[in-house]
Amino acid sequence: MNNKNQGYIFFSFFLILVVAQTSCKHEEGEYHSIIDKIKNKSKNYHGVTLSSESYLGDDKMIKITEDGHTFLIPERKGKLKSFKCSECHSKPLSQINDEDLKKAHWDIKIVHANEKTMNCLTCHNSNNMDELKSITGKSIDFNRSYNLCNQCHTKQFDDWKGGAHGKRIGGWAPPRASLSCVNCHNPHNPSFEKKWPERYNSQKTKERK
Amino acid sequence: MSEKNKKWFSLNLNNNSNKTSTSCGCGKTSGGCKTHNQEEIDENVFFNDAVDASVGEQRPKDGIDQVFDVKMDRRTAFKKLTASLLIGAGAVSTSCSTLASDESKEKAQIDWEEQFKGNYKLMSNEEKEATVTRLVRSYQLRTGKTLNMSSVDAQKDVLYGYAFNISKCQGYMDCVNACVEENNQDRNSQMQYIRIHEMKDGKGFNFNESDDNYYHEVPAEGHFYMGTQCFHCDNPPCVEVCPVQATWREDDGLVVVDYDWCVGCRYCMAACPYDGRRFNWSKPEVPEEQINKNQHYLGNRMRKKGVMEKCTFCVQRSRAGKNPACVEACPTGARIFGNLLDPNSTIRWVLENKKVFRLKEDLGTEPKFWYFMD
Amino acid sequence: MRRLKVFVSLIKDSLDVITRGSKKYHLWMGFLTLFMLIGMYCYSFQLDEGLSVTGMTDRVSWGLYISNFTFLVGVAAAAVMLVMPTYVLKDIDFKQAVLIGEGLAVAALIMCLAFVVADMGGPSVLWHMIPGIGVFNFPNSMLTWDVIVLNGYLFLNISIPFYILFRHYQGKKSKTSVYVPGALLSVFWAVAIHLVTAFLYQGLQARPFWNNALLGPRFLASAFAAGPALIIIILAIIRTNTAFKIDDKTIKKLALVVTVAAQINLIMLISELFKEFYAPTHHSESAYYLFFGLNGKTALLPWIWTSITLNVTATIILTFHKLRNNFKFLFFACFILFVAIWIEKGFGLIVPGFIPGPYGKIAEYTPTIIEIGVTLGIWSLGAFIFTMLAKTAIEIETGKLRYKK
Repeated sequence: MNNKNQGYIFFSFFLILVVAQTSCKHEEGEYHSIIDKIKNKSKNYHGVTLSSESYLGDDKMIKITEDGHTFLIPERKGKLKSFKCSECHSKPLSQINDEDLKKAHWDIKIVHANEKTMNCLTCHNSNNMDELKSITGKSIDFNRSYNLCNQCHTKQFDDWKGGAHGKRIGGWAPPRASLSCVNCHNPHNPSFEKKWPERYNSQKTKERK
Repeated sequence: MSEKNKKWFSLNLNNNSNKTSTSCGCGKTSGGCKTHNQEEIDENVFFNDAVDASVGEQRPKDGIDQVFDVKMDRRTAFKKLTASLLIGAGAVSTSCSTLASDESKEKAQIDWEEQFKGNYKLMSNEEKEATVTRLVRSYQLRTGKTLNMSSVDAQKDVLYGYAFNISKCQGYMDCVNACVEENNQDRNSQMQYIRIHEMKDGKGFNFNESDDNYYHEVPAEGHFYMGTQCFHCDNPPCVEVCPVQATWREDDGLVVVDYDWCVGCRYCMAACPYDGRRFNWSKPEVPEEQINKNQHYLGNRMRKKGVMEKCTFCVQRSRAGKNPACVEACPTGARIFGNLLDPNSTIRWVLENKKVFRLKEDLGTEPKFWYFMD
Repeated sequence: MRRLKVFVSLIKDSLDVITRGSKKYHLWMGFLTLFMLIGMYCYSFQLDEGLSVTGMTDRVSWGLYISNFTFLVGVAAAAVMLVMPTYVLKDIDFKQAVLIGEGLAVAALIMCLAFVVADMGGPSVLWHMIPGIGVFNFPNSMLTWDVIVLNGYLFLNISIPFYILFRHYQGKKSKTSVYVPGALLSVFWAVAIHLVTAFLYQGLQARPFWNNALLGPRFLASAFAAGPALIIIILAIIRTNTAFKIDDKTIKKLALVVTVAAQINLIMLISELFKEFYAPTHHSESAYYLFFGLNGKTALLPWIWTSITLNVTATIILTFHKLRNNFKFLFFACFILFVAIWIEKGFGLIVPGFIPGPYGKIAEYTPTIIEIGVTLGIWSLGAFIFTMLAKTAIEIETGKLRYKK
């Protein structure tokens, strides 16, 4: 009887051992959280072989570096329909101010801040139509028009430099290419209209009845 | 006594199907030329076999089957009891036949091999390429058109992360549209991986009272919008519970599903806290002209009924360096995607400089999808 | 060789036994066969069109099938309530009912396996789970644990009674050294099967309705109430319809087991209600939906309140000695307790776990005719198998069926 009991005890002990060994969950738990994992794994970061250059298409890009961030933005001057305003307008603004003729760019309404803050001359240089100017009168190239926006919208500019504001094009792989401010926002009327959503799910409505 | 027994012999209570006659030269009674009908009957047989298999050899053979269908019981009780085997037998018998055309023979051969391949995670590169070739060829045989399917593995030094800007989302649902077009989801059940929740200002992130099926002008006054989808957790509960390891987390952080390995138990769907997974309750159908032909084995290739699927961060695009369809489509730039291991990436900048949070942090799932506001 | 001969003869004799019987017997088997055929017919729709013919959706992805599966695992585990007193406590009063109990366990387990297969999206690829040729995600996935314990329990419950019956068939006594260790193992194993099944749900942090510590013990309590209740009813039927003798004492002792288990079950229910409703949190939404309805969605209210009423009534009846020992009251109480626990474990547990969904949305679940058809088919299958096993066992145990050289 004693042997039998001993046998049972040994067997159950062995069984418990086996169960304990096999039930430990297979855990890759070297990292406590994803942030730890990111920190550790980026120590030996060698870069990726993928590139998003092929996805940029035919658009001409220029590389800018602001505050340590280097990325591509679309070139602007080639896209403006009649750029090099001075090719047609040879006289400076003060001289083409004629009462009989229609006002230039009469169809552009400025819906941007208010009259006390913004008018045409806030950004445009009346002496040089081919360039923009800052609040203090320094000239700003059309390709770098974001330098105008960042005079007031500093927070959005910081976000844009980092990549949290605005749209990235191409792909996620370097080199980074982002759209600049004027690619989305019309500088004369920067806000967006409301619209209807792209789709509606009738199946969901059915399920929830 | 024997008369009484004979009386019951004539009632073929259990198996109605197996005695189909075949014109095939192989002489198998359980196979036959491969037709749609045959498939159904075989699966019926399978149900019985499965019941038998679980009890079969161990139970004292006093079942009615033993008496009425000795041939089937003896033959199948000792083989691997799977319906696929029976279907495969049909495939083989078709291949044996001199009447079937070369194309249908090739198709049968492909279907046979596809049925018995292993788990994608465990395949070698050659096996992966082989299965991709088979799938592409099968599609060609069926429709005459060709696909572009890739089986590219995870890149080194890549860990995908995603950030969503709540202030920027205006509820346009361009992302939902793009996702459906990119990933060949079932149109009949209007399957969508992405949900956009419209929430009222001032109530916090109150999902209970949010509306994820709105249809009015957006952005609506006094509301904000949040999108959810599979968050590709780093500690995914869905991966833990899959009984066959049909879903797993790849080295680049994507949680993927091998559609051909999934058995359809839906345990992963019960385990996901974020409503990330979708099930094909019926055969998924996409109109031919809307099928996206650039596919990845783990991504947007055509699925079959009875398997699980989910957002894959567009593996067919992201492993080629492109952004997922939702990120590409969002007109406001509310969605940010990139490589978490690259210290210069935009996603890293967002994590380090914006106030980010994730949903249901307390559950310990470590999702790789962060939310932030301007 | 001789054993094989005896085995073949046992099979032949069992077939004789099964195909002979009174008119009532034949009617019963015919009735069950009819429902099995209906079930097969409905299942063929499901195989053809996929699970969309059921009422399950992405929101409530487990419904009638898994509810029945969960309940029946409990019934199967309850067979141990007969084995334990007989072999551990050496209480002779339970001995007659042991084989019936184990037969019930086998039938219930086959039903469980059938429900699981019926619920699968891809039954033809279930071979993917076989270790070796497929991938078996043990020990991470609780489903794999469940597969192991359920199949092991099935094997135990087939082999031990088979051994005993085989010996008795030959007129020999069965050796205790062979079957007692197995019987002891099956006691622990029975607790394991239901605990593991409970862990399937308990381990999901995504479903707060299930993710509490009391789910496992609650499953055990309700199983040990519902299973023996069914056994009592079955023993009563066997007593009246066959020559198998079952003492009143056996039934009365079983009734005591049911009573205690039902009382513990009620206490656990009260504990759960307190936790959910004393200081409700966001996680109590499922309980609110179940007991009081949410946002006007009240589909489960009639079910759960019927279940609770029946449960409490049955427990009260069973608590009073006078009523419990009056067999008419006893059978009635056992029946309503069985139904109450079926509802509680099915619609009262599985479905509300999914409602509301992860983002608070409510989509209710209603089973379709096809689901109900397949369910009835599988229950008929279980009853059919049980009847066959019980009839054979009874014939052998009453000495009528013996091996003739």
